[in-house]
Amino acid sequence: MLERFALGAEIAFQPLSLLMMLLGVAWGILGGALPGISGSIAMALLLPLTFGMNPAVALMMLAGVYIGAMYGGSITAILISTPGTPGAAATVIDGYALHKKGMSGKALGVSLITGTIGGIVSVFILVALAVPLSKVALAFGPPEYFALGAFGLALISSFVGRDLVKGAISAVLGLIIATAGTDPFSGTPRFTFGAIDLLSGVELVAGMIGLFAVSEMLHQIAEGSAWERIKGKFTTNLPTLVELWRLRIATFIGIVMGTIEGLLPGGGGAIAAFISYNEAKRWSKHPEEFGHGSLEGIAAPETANNVVTGTAMIPLLTFGIPGSNGAAIMLAAMLLHGIRPGPQLFQGTPQIVYGLFVGMLIANVMMLVLGFIALRPSIAIVNVRPPLLYASILALVLVGAYSISNRMFEVWVVLITGIIGYGMRRFGFNILATVLGLVLGFMVEANLRRSLLISLGNPWVFFTRPISAGLLAFAIFTLLWPIVRQVRDDRRARRALAPTQA
Amino acid sequence: MRRADFYIGLGLLAVALVYFQQSFSILRGFASDRLGPAFFPRMLALLLAALALTLIIRAGAGRSDPSRPPTIRAGMLAAVLGVLVLYAAVLPALGFLIATPLMLAAIIWSLGLRAWASLAAAALGVTVVLWFVFARMLHVLLPPGLL
Repeated sequence: MLERFALGAEIAFQPLSLLMMLLGVAWGILGGALPGISGSIAMALLLPLTFGMNPAVALMMLAGVYIGAMYGGSITAILISTPGTPGAAATVIDGYALHKKGMSGKALGVSLITGTIGGIVSVFILVALAVPLSKVALAFGPPEYFALGAFGLALISSFVGRDLVKGAISAVLGLIIATAGTDPFSGTPRFTFGAIDLLSGVELVAGMIGLFAVSEMLHQIAEGSAWERIKGKFTTNLPTLVELWRLRIATFIGIVMGTIEGLLPGGGGAIAAFISYNEAKRWSKHPEEFGHGSLEGIAAPETANNVVTGTAMIPLLTFGIPGSNGAAIMLAAMLLHGIRPGPQLFQGTPQIVYGLFVGMLIANVMMLVLGFIALRPSIAIVNVRPPLLYASILALVLVGAYSISNRMFEVWVVLITGIIGYGMRRFGFNILATVLGLVLGFMVEANLRRSLLISLGNPWVFFTRPISAGLLAFAIFTLLWPIVRQVRDDRRARRALAPTQA
Repeated sequence: MRRADFYIGLGLLAVALVYFQQSFSILRGFASDRLGPAFFPRMLALLLAALALTLIIRAGAGRSDPSRPPTIRAGMLAAVLGVLVLYAAVLPALGFLIATPLMLAAIIWSLGLRAWASLAAAALGVTVVLWFVFARMLHVLLPPGLL
């Protein structure tokens, strides 16, 4: 164990790694501060630049972006009441109230320090859970992996977004896109419509850039409202130790909620941030301050969203199931470099996993320092006029898509998936489910076919093995629960109406 | 979104049918497994068809979300999409260094910015930065086109 950390530290402390992480964290803070650019979009925009890098360095840099974006999101949340990332939506409530009281510096400082604490604690949770879980994963055979994939897709279809039917459609669409290309089992082409470019399938990175970044740009252009300019000069003021001690309960709640959300596939910390905000209010000694500028109201959500950066890597590294959209981008980067997550990764190439662990610790410390330096550039970039910003981002996206394999095909993939993604977003579908379907398509199909190969065609193999049966039972429960709830609510509503009608 | 849901459902049903039908033109390889390369796609086609029917029936029965999607700046969106598609179409012929500043200028203009100085500066500046990063630092062979 210790020598593996030494191996990881050796890579993480190389000057090139440190430089790339520093650039990553800075890019993350700037992107996170921009309304519309979430952590995962900032990561997706940077992906094409990481192709040529050593895979360990590429992953550390992307993790740095993810970490930086969580703090960046709170800058705009506090200063102009517009969350820079979905994870900072809960921070708006008390952050903006503090800003109006002239305490923006303190609000930024609390966000920065509790975010750093959350980020560092989450790396320890990551190590503590991922290493033993990777040993559990060794016991997983094809039926278990199939069931795990089905469970992940069921969970994201039913809990993210409000509409189960549309969520499930979104996930199935992702799986369908993933089937195009060459069938990995028999080597026969399918759904290529005779196009040679499609033989290798839809490049995951291009699909993600389209679904995440292009669709968001189109959304901003079509429906977004202009945000305010940030006026005045601000500095980040760290809280005193006494103030920090008063935030311990809120921070602890953020850690717990962020850990839970990170472990389950789904959002990017937004849900954990809101739940933490509400729980922190419930457990607070001064709940009346919430909404009027409570520092606890910043500490809880900002801890939670930073904790997700680490804990979302747990299911990713051990089972190959991303715990958040940022982790999905990490998975795309891994596959691009030919790395398959799972227990073999811990055994075969420990320098990548442990490099990432050490790198994430360093990146959190970098964020603490850059949080002071990057505030002014972040404000400057938020004040750039939106047309200039959107045009530049779209240009970056298209060049990045071209650079994936030096051909126009990916440029078209990015545009088409971007348009589809925008349409889905507009009509209440669930882009995250599509991305997860796209990411897991190969894994789900391959393990379904492998399971039936070893069971000689007997479909009961999924139900006679306890772990697989349990996971599938959870999956079915997740899908049925919203329906049961709907029927129950309808019945209650009818019962409530009955007396007045009589 | 009732009407929208109804038509989206019909569209998805059509996608499911085409996808199902296409699965019959997959050749079965020699070294295939029991299920073959067409089984999983057919399963997905049936699943999508069932879900699309649910969407249609729900919209028809008036049980879907009645709220309307927010109004959009359709002209602006269409203009930007047009510029993006045109850019992708002419990029190989014109080359990166010619097509990109034109695309940037057209998008900035479509989004309503008329300050010519900043428009030109951004169009040229962003192109140079992207060219430097991708062509010089990452050695990507950007389309040379006319140059």
